[in-house]
Amino acid sequence: MPNEKQLSEKESLQLITDMIQKVKNSYHDKGVGPLLWGTVVAIASFISYLQLQFNFSLPFDIWWIVMGAIIPQIILINQDAKTQKIKRHEDAALNAVWLVYAITIFGLSFFQSVVPNASEQIMHLNGWQLIKHDINNSKPDELIKPFTPSIYSLYILIYGFPTLVTGIVKKFWPMTIGAIIAYLLFMASCFTETKYDFLLGAIAALVCWFFPGIILRAKYLKQKRANV
Amino acid sequence: MYKELDPILHSQLRLAVMSLLISVKEAEFTFIKEKTNSTAGNLSVQVQKLKEVGYIDVNKQFKDNYPQTTCKITAKGIEAFENYVKALQVYLKV
Repeated sequence: MPNEKQLSEKESLQLITDMIQKVKNSYHDKGVGPLLWGTVVAIASFISYLQLQFNFSLPFDIWWIVMGAIIPQIILINQDAKTQKIKRHEDAALNAVWLVYAITIFGLSFFQSVVPNASEQIMHLNGWQLIKHDINNSKPDELIKPFTPSIYSLYILIYGFPTLVTGIVKKFWPMTIGAIIAYLLFMASCFTETKYDFLLGAIAALVCWFFPGIILRAKYLKQKRANV
Repeated sequence: MYKELDPILHSQLRLAVMSLLISVKEAEFTFIKEKTNSTAGNLSVQVQKLKEVGYIDVNKQFKDNYPQTTCKITAKGIEAFENYVKALQVYLKV
């Protein structure tokens, strides 16, 4: 680009438009993060459904694969930080949204694992317990442990939140639509048995992250080929 | 009444740099060089001029043992850019 070339007003406006367009075209999300999370959450949810439907259990908790996905995610974030030559205005805000999402999911998992036992102890201290009573009196009363009914519905609700924010901020409609579908699945899951909640959760993971991830990946590879 | 166009911005390379920086939070020198198809020497001179008038901030640091220069538009730069675009719109009646 020549040094001090004076521009006409029309050329100036064209140059501004071209440069803004160049920035837009210069960066595409690689799509690996959404693909990774969409895959592990969909698999964990679907296997949880299969375990309840066919009454079997794996020798380990399938949700550990979600915890395991944190390691490659950290590596990906570090790699991106090294190769990224620009920082966008929305990056910091979206990172904060996803951090809050991760904390919320961990908080909900903590709630789910701690509350039943804590409730049982509180009930015990207060001198009462939960009894399952068959309304037809066809079965004898049964002592049950406290539990959080249909809690996976709340996970589906939370899946929609960062996905919708990202979709709106980045004007990336597949994520916006995925989040809207997740909210509809959440509402449906309020009326279904726990095992079907997991099935709906698997669909939510696919529409929120996996399918948008495929679209992002395809866009990124297309852009990469164009730049070669 | 036509406003005079800001002479700092009314130059091809400086306007290109400002147009890039207006749409990002910050950008590396190498990125700006690549997108403007300019030489390092020429770009350095223009970046220095933009820095002197307070339109951009330039930050030099080391990243993985390599020097890294990043540029960021300032509030004064944003105002100047917006005024420049408004003036252009008056000239072009858009």
